[in-house]
Amino acid sequence: MTLEVTVRRRRGWADVVIRLLKKPDVAFGLVIVALFYAWSMVEGVLQVVGALLNNPALGWALLPYNPFQPHLSQSLQPPSILHIMGTDDLGRDILSRVLYAAPYDALISLVVVGGGILIGGFIGMVAGFYGGGVEEFNMWLTDLFLAFPALILAMVIEATFGHGYIYAMIAMIVVWWPSYARLFRAETIRVRSMKYIDAALLSGLSRLEIIRRHIIRPALITILPYATLDLGNVILFYSMLSFLGLGQQPPLPEWGSMVALGLEYFPRWWWYSIMPGLVILIIAVATALVGDGLRDVIGGEERWV
Amino acid sequence: MSIWTYVINRAVRAFLLILGIIVLTFILSHVLAPNPAYVWAGPHAAPSVIQAIIREYHLDQPIYVQLYYYLVSALTFNFGFSPYFKQPVSELIAIYLPRTLQLIFVAMVLTGLIGVFTGAFAAEHKDKWGDYTVKALYLISWCMPPFLAALLLQLFIAYYWGVLPPNLMADPTLAAPRYITGFPTIDALIEGNWPYFWSSLKHLILPAFSLALISFGVITRITRSSMLTALQADYVRAAVMRGVEKGRIVYVHALKNSMIPVITLLALVFSWMISGSVIIETIFSYNGLGWLLTTALYNYDYPTVIGCSVVIGIAVVLANFIADVLYAVIDPRIKLG
Repeated sequence: MTLEVTVRRRRGWADVVIRLLKKPDVAFGLVIVALFYAWSMVEGVLQVVGALLNNPALGWALLPYNPFQPHLSQSLQPPSILHIMGTDDLGRDILSRVLYAAPYDALISLVVVGGGILIGGFIGMVAGFYGGGVEEFNMWLTDLFLAFPALILAMVIEATFGHGYIYAMIAMIVVWWPSYARLFRAETIRVRSMKYIDAALLSGLSRLEIIRRHIIRPALITILPYATLDLGNVILFYSMLSFLGLGQQPPLPEWGSMVALGLEYFPRWWWYSIMPGLVILIIAVATALVGDGLRDVIGGEERWV
Repeated sequence: MSIWTYVINRAVRAFLLILGIIVLTFILSHVLAPNPAYVWAGPHAAPSVIQAIIREYHLDQPIYVQLYYYLVSALTFNFGFSPYFKQPVSELIAIYLPRTLQLIFVAMVLTGLIGVFTGAFAAEHKDKWGDYTVKALYLISWCMPPFLAALLLQLFIAYYWGVLPPNLMADPTLAAPRYITGFPTIDALIEGNWPYFWSSLKHLILPAFSLALISFGVITRITRSSMLTALQADYVRAAVMRGVEKGRIVYVHALKNSMIPVITLLALVFSWMISGSVIIETIFSYNGLGWLLTTALYNYDYPTVIGCSVVIGIAVVLANFIADVLYAVIDPRIKLG
């Protein structure tokens, strides 16, 4: 008699990616997201190296046009083969400016989601694991920050400390952590009821140690789909701040502020405002598709709020 | 727990949150701010102005004295004097807040209608083309930056087709009604100022629809999933067996019950819409609270920024409170607690 052994392979990340690629909409999203972050990394490195070597031209070495050089004879050209997204009032190529601005958005999305997970994760996991008064207070604090509409709170913070990229980043982390605190708390309460946590408590591990060893990992995996989708939310939100003039300051290009600059030329020269807006839309849709797909593969709650 | 203990419990929570909001803005503006006097006076203020500001806001006193004055003035809705508008901040808010509330109210009605019907439609056609189309629609509208939604609507409906006016709150050649309730459309109605009433209604549609467009997705999702649960319920199966026609079951029998979870979302949608209205008002030149806030921000008018945000925070807490109470009143099955 032969003994049949079914080996259940552990699901690695490569496996997850393959399953994601099987659905056309998710695959589309994944390709866009991957292209966006890959491009941002290349362009970001070029800009940083260019700044270090005192040779800013390196920042637009890969772009079709110099994003800063005005060409007044070319101003407000409609989208064409030469200028895929048209040109702005100074005749600068909008596509080049959009591509030049990509690294700022990529960076802020990663930093804000990361910061939100760090702060919200700590507050939420402690609340969920300790319970009682600690939980009451932490969740009150969370509700307090959620009581402010996100954009208003970010505006107040920037009004107090100053306008600019770094301030926008700080303001957004302050706005972003509460939703992660709620997610992590719910997740911690779920994991806490497992037998192995009781075993760990009996074996004398301290509670913070149990959170570190046994709760962070499962909680993070469940939250991953939401965090992926959230990258797009951050980019959307940052574009709103930048639209209001609270992001990267001119002359640096920025998706949201380009839309705001284009308002003066709207509706006749519509592409000036609409094109950067469409880019934001596409990136946000792509992250949402990937987040949705990840949730189907990894499991976890349907959650958009 | 009776309904009244529940309401009182929620009211106490709401009050604590409002206190928290005031303290939070105090900490931001008096403790964390690098130099409170300069922040309150603006970066280009003269030394004499700074001295006046320090006296006015008691910035030379110990921090708990400052907190006391701040709390008392915030709880009496006294937010100081706006250096840019040369008017008390509370008066400014009394003018601009109703305009935004009017916009948001219309937008919330639209959001509710669109969300509930698309959700019901998606549930009726679960896993068929209707469902996928609705999903694609709300995914796109959800991911749409508010300014893009507003600009596209403005471009096509106002500029290309000329159906609705592209911006402003009403036709500027018309005489505005007196300030009665503060809601321009309602004031015009009370005064019997019909031309202004119609004009302000027409000017409301596009901005309200833009706000609705970026936030209906969440209501679609919740309606769809609660509708799917409702369609499995016994009373729906009984209706099917009695031979009630399918559309009637979905849109009459099941819809009523699936709308209950939507109520809890309304407070959340309200909060988003306040954020969204800041952007939408800029694009449609609709002079509401969002316009006041951005103008104050650009002109370093700090008292106005703080005053607006405290009032907005309080409004969101109240909206949450109302939603909680409504939820309990409408659905007696809810476990109160």
